[in-house]
Amino acid sequence: MTNDAKKDELLKKLADGVLKFEEEEVATAANEVLALGFDAYEAIMNGLAKGMEEAGRLYEEEEYFVPELLLCADALYAGLNILRPHVKIEDRQKSRGVVVIGTVQGDVHDIGKNLVKMMFEVAGFEVHDLGKDVPLEKFVEEQLKTNAELVCLSAMMTTSMLGMERIIKMIREKNPEVKIMIGGAPITQEVVKKFGADGTANSASNALREALKMVASLRKMG
Amino acid sequence: MSVGKTSREKVLELLNGKRNGELLCFSGMGNVTTEGMKQTGIRFAESHTDASKMAALAATTHKLFGFECAVIPFDVAIEAEIVGCPINFYTRSHPLEILYPTVKEKVIRSAGDIKLPSDLSRAGRVPLVTEALNLLSDDLKGAVAIGTYIMGPFTIAGQTMELSDLLKISLKKPEEVAEVLAVYTELVIQLAETYSAAGADYITIREMGACSDVLRPALFKQLVEPQLRRIFDQAPHPLVLHICGKSNGIMDSMNRVGAGALSVDQKNDLRETRKTIGPKPILLGNFDPFNILVKGTPSDVKRAVQECVNGGVDAVWPGCDIWPTVPTENMNALMQAVKNARKGRN
Repeated sequence: MTNDAKKDELLKKLADGVLKFEEEEVATAANEVLALGFDAYEAIMNGLAKGMEEAGRLYEEEEYFVPELLLCADALYAGLNILRPHVKIEDRQKSRGVVVIGTVQGDVHDIGKNLVKMMFEVAGFEVHDLGKDVPLEKFVEEQLKTNAELVCLSAMMTTSMLGMERIIKMIREKNPEVKIMIGGAPITQEVVKKFGADGTANSASNALREALKMVASLRKMG
Repeated sequence: MSVGKTSREKVLELLNGKRNGELLCFSGMGNVTTEGMKQTGIRFAESHTDASKMAALAATTHKLFGFECAVIPFDVAIEAEIVGCPINFYTRSHPLEILYPTVKEKVIRSAGDIKLPSDLSRAGRVPLVTEALNLLSDDLKGAVAIGTYIMGPFTIAGQTMELSDLLKISLKKPEEVAEVLAVYTELVIQLAETYSAAGADYITIREMGACSDVLRPALFKQLVEPQLRRIFDQAPHPLVLHICGKSNGIMDSMNRVGAGALSVDQKNDLRETRKTIGPKPILLGNFDPFNILVKGTPSDVKRAVQECVNGGVDAVWPGCDIWPTVPTENMNALMQAVKNARKGRN
């Protein structure tokens, strides 16, 4: 087998392993990537992340549900923990952006937030995770402290998403350029518009895609 | 004809499966408003731990707007508190801040960890809710239906166990989840008996944790439906089954559990639902209590009421708790639109 064919086979094993939530297969393939001297960052992006993206697609099609996504995430982390220490320094320094993320006060649901956070980590963002039930002003403080380009707010319940509108106002007052993404079950494009956010996404992979677009547009402006 | 009947009688007739042609507007979930808080001077954060404040606030939506029920409690953490989870009541937050109590710490890992109290009527805030039910009965004197709600077993499991663990073992070891759900089903039945004895006219079982945004419909059928069947078989009626979030894929399961009425939110396609369940079951919904009622205009409200009616609901009923900051003109528009739709139907 040629080197390229072997590499493609391993990338496919990583992606399939994530998709079928086979932690051991993913770990084995990740170790093989390192043993054969293939690029760790490429294996993360074109192997692990690709598998998660496919899982996100299946979620949108109602083939997969939250339990399946959580098991995919476990498999992804099994590979990420092996590969990440071997990402070349120059790739590591090429931060895709700085993100502040958290679930808003009054809400303790963090599964969606954690999945989005994982995709950001996979792609090489610098992620500042504030956790769940986060007081509104904490988002503003953290954005200022880290100079984050992107703030991501999560809420699972209609009864807790209201705080988002105020956080968005508070952040915009201090820093009008920062991009704000909101997500969670009650969030629709309509809510995004009403609250003055910049976007939302219905899966973790789409959240990453949106985030990459937002950061790129910011950097173009800058 | 329903001339001469009280609002309470009409609501209870409907929930017992008797349609009398009159379109009602009520809820099985929280519906207090900041207007009600202003009128009574009661802070939201204090109403969860004080029976007289809870009862007084619960009656305001009927008194101010003619909404055809009074429902307590206002939060969804009563059951988790009963099995020992500490609750955050946000009592130190800003007086105008509306925050619902949340579970601070999830203390259950498996069925073996769950200790149901030997005397449920004295556990957690159960005595407070039963006292508030008594106070509401005294206040409303049988004129207005008094509702309460209890979380469904899967939702309680999600509130008391690490949710990601619960969801993963639902796939990997469903039999372990079934054990947990069986214990919580017992809790739900006992709680329903306690509330019913204290004067609750109807009870809504809220099983939103098992909606199809989260759980595969096949797993709902396998794990949740049998428990709900037991609840609707054994607990005192009338009982409503409410599931917000995606629910079309589990409508046949929901319809099989024996509920007096089914409640869904704005994510449900009502026409599809009617196709699945047929004309007989009482269907409540699916008015959007935030995007329309709070954020919309009175004409949005009017349009949304018409959509509910066209979709075949038996009562215009918010798909979730009404967010308290609802503008007065929108509440009035809701009640007026239902009244007009009622005339159109008769």
